[in-house]
Amino acid sequence: MPRGRRRRWWQRRERKSESANNFVIGQGRATPYLFSLPSIILVAAILGFPVIYGLWQSLYTRESLGAPLEYIGIQNYVDMFQSDAFWHSMNRTAIFVIGSLALGVTLGLFFAFALFRVVGKLRFLRAVTVAPYIISNVAAAVMFRILFNSQFGMINEVLGFFGLDGPSWLADPGMAMVVVIFTQVWTDLPLTILVLLGGLMTVDKSYLDASLVDGATGWTRARFITIPLLAPQILISVVWLSYSTLTGLGVVLALTGGGPLRATQTIAMEMYTVAFRNLEFNQALAIATFILVLNALLTLGYVAIGRRYEYDQ
Amino acid sequence: MTGKHGAEAEFASPTARAAAAVTGPQPEPKGSPGSRIKRVLRNVLLSLPLIALVIWTLAPFLVTLSVSFKDRAQVFADPSLIPSNPTLDAYTQVLTSDSFTTSFVNSVIVGVGTTLLTIVIGVPAAYAFARFNFRGRHLLLLFTLLPRLVPSLGLMVPIYRLAVAVGALDNRLTLIVVYTGMLLPLAVWLMVGFFQQIPREIEEAANVDGANLLKRLRYIVGPLAAPSMIMIGVLAFREAWNEFTLVLVLTNTPGKRTLPFELYLMQGIEGIANFPGEAAFTLLTVLPFVLVYTRVEKYVVAGLISGSGK
Repeated sequence: MPRGRRRRWWQRRERKSESANNFVIGQGRATPYLFSLPSIILVAAILGFPVIYGLWQSLYTRESLGAPLEYIGIQNYVDMFQSDAFWHSMNRTAIFVIGSLALGVTLGLFFAFALFRVVGKLRFLRAVTVAPYIISNVAAAVMFRILFNSQFGMINEVLGFFGLDGPSWLADPGMAMVVVIFTQVWTDLPLTILVLLGGLMTVDKSYLDASLVDGATGWTRARFITIPLLAPQILISVVWLSYSTLTGLGVVLALTGGGPLRATQTIAMEMYTVAFRNLEFNQALAIATFILVLNALLTLGYVAIGRRYEYDQ
Repeated sequence: MTGKHGAEAEFASPTARAAAAVTGPQPEPKGSPGSRIKRVLRNVLLSLPLIALVIWTLAPFLVTLSVSFKDRAQVFADPSLIPSNPTLDAYTQVLTSDSFTTSFVNSVIVGVGTTLLTIVIGVPAAYAFARFNFRGRHLLLLFTLLPRLVPSLGLMVPIYRLAVAVGALDNRLTLIVVYTGMLLPLAVWLMVGFFQQIPREIEEAANVDGANLLKRLRYIVGPLAAPSMIMIGVLAFREAWNEFTLVLVLTNTPGKRTLPFELYLMQGIEGIANFPGEAAFTLLTVLPFVLVYTRVEKYVVAGLISGSGK
């Protein structure tokens, strides 16, 4: 019985696809495959295969460079979870991610609200908003290194103007992370602002009018009406920012290289250090796999959130 | 000062109008001079967040611009934003250095190569996904998820090991292929959306008139999809121009690196940091893209939103 059903389902599908393809007369059956195969193969080779290769290689080790590979099962993962450097970097990553989220979402909301009032009017502002997006992480790092320089940087000049003694930002283990967070948020903020702005534009005006009748204005209205209505966009920003900070290497590497005193040694930097400074590639692949799994969990959360709000609307 | 103030007020007035449109009518008695001052004050206050946005975004560019016009001693001696005696030394130094010129050429080659390859491979795939019913069509869903699941950080070590194994290090073609592979999911996914917006009926009508698939692609679908192809091209070029994580491990001889890598090295090899040089290098790296960007900004914004916001 199931076989019969299956065949009928196939037949129906065939007919449907024929009618859908009806207009492409003279086109062979192979055409869609010819068109799509190069993409599929290239994506599988660049994004798929290396991940599987890395997963497989993370189960091996080499005594020294050039020595033969030796299968050790999950020993690399056990070593990773037992190493102090790993937990130190996880601690740094937590600070980096949470700090970037707090700063990014706050600034994103603030600027999105500001832009919402002039939306579609000042093209200049849109161009300015997006400007950090076209800059490489390294260029952003150079700019922020100049901005936060302890001897001539604009930040310390301004602090000095108010009689404050600016810290030596990047040389100070307590402050370097602050600069890294600011730089990372600066590069990621355009997207956050645009997502939140898009959310603001879909907010139903009748809620705002109703709240106005009830006497809610300004901050009260933003706090109790607009921001709750923006929840899906805020969640998207949160997940996107955490993806970007968790897997971001460029800013940290170019700005501090993990220093001073490993104060900015995030998990991404740790992976890079183990691979390309200690040359323990198989160990580094265990860290890479761990990052991929962590990131996949975040992404699945993101998809789940997206789904839930799609249904609501 | 007064002129600046007037400009600010003028700048703010559409702001206030838009605010009024959103918040509903707010009775503001006209005529009395007190209320006018109040209104101007209100406009200025309302535009403060926008001024903050401009400062937040442009301050890093401005300080970099300022430093690039100073010499190495002046940077420390004269911290003001407008240099007292500006010099172009940093620019001549960067423009005549091998590190800049060769990496600039490499970046252009890799950028253009990635853009072309992404379009040449991605557009037909997107058309197939959008128009044909075929087995393998469900891979499209995987395409939408892959870039999120496999960030370049996760590729760094495995791709380096594979490139070493097949002897593909220090090769611009390797960079082009790797960048294209990373961009394709996004590019294909975006293009599918565009192709689906082109009504089937147009193609069916052309088909009745005797246009075969290739002719339809050339004369109907191609021109209609051109703006979105520009967008994909800009996205691809931006990625190749700015990418740092992978070029860092896939190249290690001086003649093969791209601009971000050379800029990164410039910070390291100088004993005492050469701030004007770095600043000039940074701005020269950014400049070509800014020139393009002002023309295609609309597409960049659209790509940015649709690419990462969903």
